[in-house]
Parts: sequence; C-alpha cells; structure tokens
Amino acid sequence: MASLLEISDVSVRFGGLVAVDGVSLAVGAGEICALIGPNGAGKTTLFNAVSGNAAISSGRILLKGEPIHGLAPHQISAKGVRRTFQNGGLFAGLTALENVLVGLHAKVGSGFLGLLAGARASERAESSSTEQARALLDLMEVGHIADELASDLSGGQQRIVEIVRAIATEPPLLLLDEPAVGLAPHMREQLVRIIRRLAAEQGVGILLIEHAIELVMAVADRVVVLNYGRKVADAPPEQVRADKAVLEAYLGHA
Amino acid sequence: MTDAAPIANPTGKSGRSKPPAARQRRTLFWAVPLLLLPLPLFLDQYKQYVANLILVYVPVAVGFNIVIGNLGLLAFSNVAFFGIGAYASGVLALKLGWPWWTTILPAGLMGALAGCTASVPALRGVRLFYLAIMTLAFGELLRWVYIRWVPVTGGSFGMSVPQPSVLGWTLSTEGQKFYVFLVLAVLAVVLTDRILRSRFGRAFMAIKDNELAAAAMGIPTDRYILLAFAWSGFVVGIGGSMYAALVGHVTPVAFDLTELILEFAVVMVGGLGSLVGSVVGAAVITAAPEFFRGLPGAQELLFGVLIVLVILFLPRGLASLLARLHPIFVDRHYRD
Amino acid sequence: MLAVLPQLLVSGVATGMLYALIALSLTVGYRATTVVNFGHGDMVMAGAYAALVLVGWGLPYAPALLLALAGLFLLGAATQRALLQPILAGPHLSLAMMALAIGYAMRGAARMEWGSEVVTLPRPYEQDAFMLGTVVLTMDELVIAGVVLALLAALVVIINLTPVGRLIQAVFQSQRGAALVGLDVHSFHGAMWGAGAALGAAGGILLGLLVPLTPDIGVYTLIRGFAAMTLGGFGSPIGAVVGGVVLGVMEKLLGFYVSTVFIDITAYLVTILVLLIWPSGLFGRRAAVRV
Repeated sequence: MASLLEISDVSVRFGGLVAVDGVSLAVGAGEICALIGPNGAGKTTLFNAVSGNAAISSGRILLKGEPIHGLAPHQISAKGVRRTFQNGGLFAGLTALENVLVGLHAKVGSGFLGLLAGARASERAESSSTEQARALLDLMEVGHIADELASDLSGGQQRIVEIVRAIATEPPLLLLDEPAVGLAPHMREQLVRIIRRLAAEQGVGILLIEHAIELVMAVADRVVVLNYGRKVADAPPEQVRADKAVLEAYLGHA
Repeated sequence: MTDAAPIANPTGKSGRSKPPAARQRRTLFWAVPLLLLPLPLFLDQYKQYVANLILVYVPVAVGFNIVIGNLGLLAFSNVAFFGIGAYASGVLALKLGWPWWTTILPAGLMGALAGCTASVPALRGVRLFYLAIMTLAFGELLRWVYIRWVPVTGGSFGMSVPQPSVLGWTLSTEGQKFYVFLVLAVLAVVLTDRILRSRFGRAFMAIKDNELAAAAMGIPTDRYILLAFAWSGFVVGIGGSMYAALVGHVTPVAFDLTELILEFAVVMVGGLGSLVGSVVGAAVITAAPEFFRGLPGAQELLFGVLIVLVILFLPRGLASLLARLHPIFVDRHYRD
Repeated sequence: MLAVLPQLLVSGVATGMLYALIALSLTVGYRATTVVNFGHGDMVMAGAYAALVLVGWGLPYAPALLLALAGLFLLGAATQRALLQPILAGPHLSLAMMALAIGYAMRGAARMEWGSEVVTLPRPYEQDAFMLGTVVLTMDELVIAGVVLALLAALVVIINLTPVGRLIQAVFQSQRGAALVGLDVHSFHGAMWGAGAALGAAGGILLGLLVPLTPDIGVYTLIRGFAAMTLGGFGSPIGAVVGGVVLGVMEKLLGFYVSTVFIDITAYLVTILVLLIWPSGLFGRRAAVRV
C-alpha cells in the first residue's frame, strides 16, 4: 500500500546552495514522523517543498500516490496537506474563531453573488461554519478564547489555535514546524496530547519539525535526522537516540 | 484537562469591546438612512449639495478602504476608478443619450475593469512602495487619457453631463438627488458589509496579515486580490457616476493627486479598514473644505496637518473613538 | 530626421540631468530609511520658493542658494525626526501617507502665500544660446549640466574620501552594522532625509530656471524622479543618475520620432513597464522589488 506522503529523492537548490539533497522519506496515515537536525539542515526547506512554498529541483513528492510537487501552495492545501509555521502563522488581526474559519475557508459554501443577494443558503453556510469552528476550538480545549484577537493570545494559545486552524478541514497530512517553541511545560503536555489524539483518533499523518528532543521522543513513532540537507538516520526514537553518528551530528550539540 | 485553567486566563486584555451581533449592527443600516430622510427639508440647495457630496464619498471611501484597509495593499489607484466611473457615466449620458440611472451599473463595471487592471502588478508580486508608485503612475496615465482623448472626454475642459434622471423622472433639485444617492450609498455599505463578514472578507484580512499562511489554508490569494480590487473598483466607479450626476461637469483636474490625498484623508481620518470609518470619514472630510472656500491652500494645509495628527495620535481614526462610545460602532474589520 | 538626433540627445541629456538629480535625492532618503518619500516633490518645490524668497530679500545669489539648501536640509531632517521616525516600525501605509501629508501641507502653505501668482526665479546670468556645429545649446542647459555634474563630483568625493562618507557606505550596506559601530541611527536617518531634501531643493532651483514656479511643480518632478529611479534600479545611486539621463533622452526621442504625446507619458509608461517586466532595472537587485 502506498504511504500517505512519499518524498522520493527530493533536492532543493537555491542558486548554488543545495538546501535539501536527495532526501527520501514516507509518512503513513496515523503515523507521527519527527524531522530533526541542526539549524540549516534543510528541515524547513523540506517542509516548504511539501507545502509548495519552495520549488524542488529534482525528485518526486506524492500524496496518496499522486504527485503534488509543482502545484501552488493553495492547491496542495486543498488536496489535504495543512501546515503550521515556525514563527507562528496566525492572522493577528483576526480572532481565534475567525482564524479557524479561514482554515475552513474552502468548506464554507457561501457564494459571492449569493452573499450579495442576501441568499439564505449563503448565510446558513456562514453560520454553520461558525458553529463548527467553535466546536473545534472547544474540542481542543481552547473554546474560551474563541473571540479574542489572535494578537492578544499567549504564545502557547497561539500555537494551539494554529493547529486547530490547520486541522479544521480534517486534512490527512499535517506538517508542524516547531510547534513547541516557547511553550511552558504544561502547554507542552497539552500539545503532546493533541498531537497524539490527532494521529490515533483521526488517523492524521503528522510530519513534525522539533528541537525539543524530549517532546520528539515522547510523541514520534519514527525520527528522521537531517544534516547538511541529507538524511543521516531514519528509525524509531529509541534507536536514533542510541545512534552514535546522530549523537555526534546533532544531539551532542542540542 | 488539568491545564485548561492556566490557558483559560488570557493576557488580561479582556477590556476590548466585543463586536455586536450582526443583527444588532444591521439596525444601523436602516436606522441611519431613516433618520436622514427629512434632511432636505432643512437644507438650502448649497448645503444639500454638500450633503450629496458626502454621499458620493461614501462608496468612494468604502471601496478604497477595502484595498488599503482590509486587503492591506498600498495601491494608489482609487482615483483612477473614481474617474473611470465618472467618465463612463458622462460619456454614456452625453454621447449616447442614455438616461443617467442606466449608466450607474456600466460605470461600476468600468470601475471594476479598472480595478482588475490595477491589480495586475499586485498579482505579479509587486508590493509596498513599488506598488504605490506603479498604481500612482496608472492613475496619472488615465488622467492623461482624459486630457488627450478630446473627442470622447472633451479634453482639459471636460464635458457637461446632462441632468440626471431616474426612470423618466428628472432630478432637478439637490434634494431629489439626495434620495437616489442615499439609496446607492446604503447599498454600497450593506453589500460591502456582507462581503467583509463572509469568508471573502476573512480571506482579504488573512492575506493582509500573512499571505503565506492564507495560501496554506487553501485560499487562492491571487483570485482574492483580484476580487478585492474588482469590488473596490465597482463601488468606487458607482461613486464616480454619482459624482458626474451631482456636479454635472467632469474634468480631468478632478482626478489628480490632490483628489488622491483627499480620498486618503477620508479613509485615514475615518478609520483604516473600518466600514463605519469610511462613512464617518466621508462626512467629516467632505464637509470640511466648504469652510475654506476663497482661501486657496488653506484646505491643503489643514488636511495635511490633520492627516499627520491622525497618524501620530489616532491611528485607527474616528471609528475607534465611536467604538468606545457604543459597541454597535465596533467594526470587526480593523486592527492596530 | 537623423539630422536632429544630436540636438535631441543634447537637450535630452540636459533635462535628464535634472531628473537624475531628483532621483538621486529620492534615493538618498530611501537608502537611509527604506521609506520612499512621497512628499519629496514638495521639498523640491519648497527649495525653489525658498531661493525665490531669499533672492527677493536682496541676498546675492550664491549665499541665497546655499541658505535655501541649508533650510531644506533642516526642514527635511526635522520632519523626518519628528514625524516619520516615531512610526518607522509601523505599517508602510502610514509611512507613505505621512510623507504625502507633509508634502500636501507644504503645498497648501505655498498656495496660501503665492496662490495663483505667476512667479519666476530670476536668472543670475544672461540667457544665451551657443551653436556647437548644428546643435543649439542654451545657457540654462549648460548651467543645469554644470551644477549637476559639480554636485555629483562633490558627492563622489564625500562618499569615497571622507569619514562621513565611509559611514554612509557602511549604513547603506547594513543597518545593523551601523548600529554596531555605535552610530546614532535616528540622527543619521534625519540627516540623510535632510540631505535628500537639500539635493531635491537644488533640483527645484534648477527647475525654476526653466519653468515658472507654481506650488504644484513638485508633483511633476516626483513622477519623473520615480521613473528615473525605477529605470535605474530602485535604491541604486548610480542607477538613479543613469536612469534620469536615459529618461530625459527617451522623452525627447519618443516625443520627436514617435509622437509628441510621449513627452508627457514616457515617465508613467517607464515606471509601469519596468516594474512589471524588468523590476531590477539597470543597476538594482530584483529581490528588492518583490516581497
């Protein structure tokens, strides 16, 4: 059976710089795969290649066996790849609820002309989506901040809302770029719980970039280590932890 | 669930007024026009003219605000849409003999077309000051067309627009124009409100805040930038058509850089990204110059200083003051 | 047709020198602060009027001009420090709007004082024309070319051979580096904005030799300054100068060989087409235009 996401022999070059160099990896449904490596190892670039924000110079990226490289980011998103951003990608001027509604954008069935004409169907589509977004925030334990502006939320709340926004359309694949950065310990626990629930209960395949090793060890089914754009290890967490080469390349400096 | 408690406490800024329910807000849309209905009874022709001019600037400001306030793009092309609308109405009425009211929709569509054209640089990735300079050049280029295309536009001297009529009724007094303009201005506000409160408006604001993230949420950003410019052009074009009907004379000089700054002042003083602000700004700024007739330059000096002060001390415009008075004026569509 | 070419080139270059000066003055403020001064045209205008006033007071020409430039330096530096610096971290829209509004207020002030009077800057020399073979060269054109070349030479010397110049180069390379060497960045921004205004004022005074002064002459020059900057590559000082000269020549050539309408619209077309098709211009970096 084909994996959910299949990255095969992908390279990304910027001018003369090879940011990602012939990397292959696969993520199955319900699997949590962590991507680790020192800064500049090409982790975020690989993410950007999957989400369509960086063009690949060779290789293939398949989602459910169908190539997605070369598509625009919004098209890849529509096919079911959702992501969060390293530095927080919430829309600061929108409330938490509205952020989730943007996540639901394609599912809100209101048409432009219908809206102008004040058509009931369009209004109903808007209000049922609003209910759905509220329910999602509740489900992820952040319902009480639904009407706060994103810019007023704490860093941890922003991370959680960003994840809620990303999974609003129940995408099969979720890319999380350093979701635990700047989180207080209790928020990390909540995050780990949410990530596990998504994989276990909804079968979401998760590709995760993370520097916090203990979080990676706690949550990942598999760990892929990148260094200088190349894959140097791909194994279950306990095995990676024991790998001397990995220790030297990365964990030693962590 | 044990750690729900710590996150239940936001940063303490809970004093922000919540936006009112859509229904409550909508009372403004009929209550305000209703209150204005008897206005022509109290105004002389000149004051009524100024009131009508304010109504002209309502769609103009609403349209401008969509692009610079909601979509957040630095596009200076609004005067171009305004001029196109005015000339479209003028040419159709004068050269083809169409009654004015049948030219309103074509004027809006021409404005929308100009909007699509003006969005091309933005779609090609031009942003910030570069976009501002390009769209500025676009507007000036159009003004040059008005001046040079004499057979159609009447050149520098402009063209006289026949008296406006609606369904066979000639609008011979300012008071009669007022009611037609009121309907058009209210329509512009109501329809734009519907857009801004829907997924379309959310998409505009998402693009403003973070284009990458918006695309990652499956929003085809190009299509929405195009849509915002088109709707902006449509609404402003209708404002142009109203202007032609009100002033009765369309000249290139009405669409120069001074006009751009006036429209900027309306939006900035009213409140960037706020529908309430567009309306309030139109009322305040349009009425002001009438106090400076016969004092050339005083109006420019005053507006310049006013805008400077607003940017420094009231960056969210008069709308933010109104919002403090009553939550019904709280407009969802703006931010710090 | 071809016989006119040398004449067109010569007068094109002369006009182009003026555009070059305006574009360069815009570039100075832009490079220092990364803010485009949409009110710059009004600094140009104010420079011309300042010279007019000072000469009107009976001052000899040279000190009057120097005082006008000094005055515009102070005005530019003061408005930057007081009005733009506080919002420098804010949205670009506010910055653009602030600059526009400052210029607008200045234009209003000029109109209140001079209104619709037609005023002209007296020439400190006899208007004359020389024949160079078949080419006619006016004294105005010579003066413009001479002054602009002298200013450029002075700038090149200052930038390359003085400590201040090296500092400017360092900041143009990297704002952070400048902060590291202990430069007061705010004062620097103000000073460069002032320098831009003073250079622009020099352009305004030269322009005043050619056309009657109105409060609106700044707007006319601003568009051409933008076009020259764009053509040369946004933010490049050399590009601004070359772009200005090329624009001046293009206006004349297109105006004569294609249609006179091009004299008015070359600047608009150049701005739009270059940014759309060739955003790096002659000397710019492509990355600068697209974000």
